[in-house]
Amino acid sequence: MDYFLNLVNTIGIHTLLGLSAYILLLTGQLSLAQAGFFAVGAYTAAVLTVILGWGILPAIGLAMLITGLLAFLVGFPALRVRGLMLVVATLAFGEFVRMFFYNFRWRVTQEGVEVGPDGTMGFSEIRYFAEHGWTSWEVTSLIWVFVILVMAIIWWADQTRSGAVLRAVGEDELAAGTVGIDVTVVKMAAMTAGGVIAGLAGSLYAHQITMLDHHAFTVLLATFAIAYPILGGVSNVFGTLVAVIFIQGLLVEGLRFLGDWRMLLFGALIIVVMNVKPRGLFDSQTLRWIKSVLRLHLSRRIS
Amino acid sequence: MIRRGTEKMKRVTRLVSTVVLAATVAMPLAASAADRSVKVLGWGAKSGPLKSFGVNSEAALRSAIAQINAAGGVKLGDGSSAPLEVISYEDSACKKDQNIAILRKTTSTTDAIVGMGATCSGSCQAMFGVLQKKVGDSSDSGVQMPILSDTCIRPGLAKISEWAFRNVPNEVAMYDKLFAWLRSENPDVKTFSGGTETDQGHSFITHTAIIVQAAVRHGFEWVGPSVPELGPKVKQGMKELQAAAKTQHWLMGDTNYSVQARKIKKQNPDMILVSSHPFSACGFLKEMKRQKVKPKLLVGLTSSASQETLNGCMSAAEGLIIPTGFAPITPEAVSANEIVSEAGGFLDLHSAAAWENAYLVKAAVEKAGISANSDTVAEDRRKFRDALASISESAGLIGPVTRDGATGEASKPYVYVQVVNGEWKVIHDPR
Amino acid sequence: MDDFWFEFVEVTQSIGDGVLFGSTYALIGIGFTLIFGAMGKLNVAYAAAAMAGAYSSLAIYILFDAPLVVIFIVSAICAAILGYLVYLTCFRFIPVHNHLAALMASVGGLFFIDEVIVHATRGSPLAFPSMFSEAYFEVGPYGIRGDLLFVFFIGLISTGVLLYVLFRTRLGLATRAVAQQDVAARLCGMSIHLTNSTTFAVAGLLGGIAGAMTAAAVGILSPVMILPLTIKGLIVTVIGGLGSIPGAIIAGLFVGGFENVVMYFRGIDERDMYVVALLFIFLVFRPNGLFGKTITRD
Repeated sequence: MDYFLNLVNTIGIHTLLGLSAYILLLTGQLSLAQAGFFAVGAYTAAVLTVILGWGILPAIGLAMLITGLLAFLVGFPALRVRGLMLVVATLAFGEFVRMFFYNFRWRVTQEGVEVGPDGTMGFSEIRYFAEHGWTSWEVTSLIWVFVILVMAIIWWADQTRSGAVLRAVGEDELAAGTVGIDVTVVKMAAMTAGGVIAGLAGSLYAHQITMLDHHAFTVLLATFAIAYPILGGVSNVFGTLVAVIFIQGLLVEGLRFLGDWRMLLFGALIIVVMNVKPRGLFDSQTLRWIKSVLRLHLSRRIS
Repeated sequence: MIRRGTEKMKRVTRLVSTVVLAATVAMPLAASAADRSVKVLGWGAKSGPLKSFGVNSEAALRSAIAQINAAGGVKLGDGSSAPLEVISYEDSACKKDQNIAILRKTTSTTDAIVGMGATCSGSCQAMFGVLQKKVGDSSDSGVQMPILSDTCIRPGLAKISEWAFRNVPNEVAMYDKLFAWLRSENPDVKTFSGGTETDQGHSFITHTAIIVQAAVRHGFEWVGPSVPELGPKVKQGMKELQAAAKTQHWLMGDTNYSVQARKIKKQNPDMILVSSHPFSACGFLKEMKRQKVKPKLLVGLTSSASQETLNGCMSAAEGLIIPTGFAPITPEAVSANEIVSEAGGFLDLHSAAAWENAYLVKAAVEKAGISANSDTVAEDRRKFRDALASISESAGLIGPVTRDGATGEASKPYVYVQVVNGEWKVIHDPR
Repeated sequence: MDDFWFEFVEVTQSIGDGVLFGSTYALIGIGFTLIFGAMGKLNVAYAAAAMAGAYSSLAIYILFDAPLVVIFIVSAICAAILGYLVYLTCFRFIPVHNHLAALMASVGGLFFIDEVIVHATRGSPLAFPSMFSEAYFEVGPYGIRGDLLFVFFIGLISTGVLLYVLFRTRLGLATRAVAQQDVAARLCGMSIHLTNSTTFAVAGLLGGIAGAMTAAAVGILSPVMILPLTIKGLIVTVIGGLGSIPGAIIAGLFVGGFENVVMYFRGIDERDMYVVALLFIFLVFRPNGLFGKTITRD
């Protein structure tokens, strides 16, 4: 059971990470900065619970606030550029953050033992959950409360005018501008929201994994962050969840029986999916299909 | 139609009888396995750049366990014998989250009494953090599963949890004795310099806090500004690390080492330390060769005492001296080396530890007197852990391995090897 | 004064080494820029395919005991074939305007190629033969590596050939036409797919040379080199200006020299940080890179 809950936790954290990139994708921006925000969230929350002895919830809250602020600040220069330039600019930011933590040290002595981030040696023993006797179920519940909350908010926003505005900017900035949408404000809002969610994901990650170092926040993680919404499709939030289940559930854990052939299949299957369903695993077509199946099922039952 | 049917029938019968025959041949082995076996589960990097670590360790672990079983398996608590069984050897890809996933999988879905992983110190550190810190501490909801590791070499890792055990060389002692020996053998060697890769925690900390310090302690002189002594304890303080800041640094995936090599050339030291894994050690050694840097002595990181170094830079590594926890110098080591090679792996200091761990598991199981029933798994794990913690000495491939019960750390015998004519040769045996 | 002179020699020497080494960055950058220029898309698998080319040439060198000269040619050909395969699997059948799907597919391609290499070699670093590795010219206080010089000239020659093909042949004309206005080019009867696949193959040729050059310059081939090379290549492409070949060359050499200077003064911990900062400065003050055209609305 423990194993499946752990997998469910991983899926939850990665879904949040994917959703943070999803919001930006709606406005047509491909950001590789999410791994950077994720790292900032992770280190902030971990420092708060380990060094300053905060509770988990306030730590997560402050981590979200700080990453949101950071995303807001980074947004200004980064959003001057678009397309591939933005990809590389955000990649640069992500690498910058990684190298910051690569050099970041803050060691304090607690009960005779040194704790805290230790540069390239990493930040280990972030054991808030275990020390406070949290069971696996409780950890999973905490993570998924956040996941469901974030998914619900984004889903709701998508149904209202704000979703339409985001997508309008994504479709055509110039056209959106001419109908009176302040493109910069919309982009900055998306960037900040993305930062907040990535920070949340990071703060949960830190306590799930118990050890942080720069190896975890490479461009690979940033690639995964954008891979989820692209693989899943940007037509609705469930696409991201489906893609995370596909990657973390199926490709990483589900194919374990393949031994060392597993990772070969990993890349190949991504190529296959993109060729077969270029608009994502869970696009509006899939949603329509599910709806029609449900309707058919219901009408049959009624008749 | 009927003809064809009988034909098919015949073929099926033949197939079945072959299988039955094969099964009866294998019977003597399988007979005791039928009722009970002591299960272990291993994992390591079997994909990604560090694939060779996982492959070698798996080959060593499986071969050693096959050997144990061929000799009658292990004795259980009730006096009967049972074979050891490797449920599987998973690929953790050197990733923290996968390591933790496998740990939890092992704990919650299998009857394994010990987990034997994993490659990469960083991911071990994460995995150890998930374990319960103190045995029997009911307020700590960490995972309760004994882990016996072969490759997590970074200093001080096992103290993270009482459930974590390592069979890795004690680098402090190893390098201390190495430089003492080098000092006495090479009185004309005075100054030294060197470099390390900073993105690999193990290389970096071993270089700055252990290797450089040991060399200073034995009267070698760091070229340029002197390095203050750290004292006997391995500390990771900023000041101490900065003391070695004059060391050259590079990254594991680097392609250009010209600046670092030139700086060392300028310093013109008698001895050069190259504390990094084969990937970058080879790049740096080749660059030194190009720039015609010829030190009297060349000392390397213990993780580089492997086949990979020879694959990458046989001629540039000529003369490289490394202390290692394994070399085929005893009859047991020679035979183990052959068996593992046949199984498709190389025996080096890491995979040799995997081999020794199999025997360590045997010893601990017999000491713990476990029952190996599927309903006593949690109890067996605890008994196994306590037994493992109480074993202070076990037989290793090149000599006895002693263990400090309090920290879970091992102290292994070691020898010094050198690349001579493109092969690892044992040049000194301090045992 | 002596100190100053000494320091000056060291710094210029580092710059020189870096610039020579930067030619490999330049070639990778050209590859990215060529494909981007032709299709407006990013082929993330490019550097991986380039290294795979170098691996295949190493395999052929070992298996058939081929002469050393052949290595660069074989590597180029293998990488060209791989480039074409990447086009087929990751770009050909994905709708033209779906940039995200193509990007993601090429990310899949990167993972796949990377893992194939690891699978074939167990991730072990392999010695790569290099030409003129013994040649080391001492010019005054400076030392110049013969093999780097050779690598540098190969880079120059292949760039020259590429520019000739692009601006003096029908194939080049077609590539440029498709790059500028694909609809118009199609209306004129050009096959987009043919032109695109040729571009991928040509870019692959260059990549193969760059891969073999990098391997020869380091002396080893290892899978850990792929990701850093991809990132450096992308940075070079952006600094040079997307779609600009001279930009990629100058940026490649510049980044090579720059990072060695930082390396000399500040060390490894800050080297990549300064390179990234350099990129940021470019993005803020020259968002279109050294030679990039202003992006206009199409």
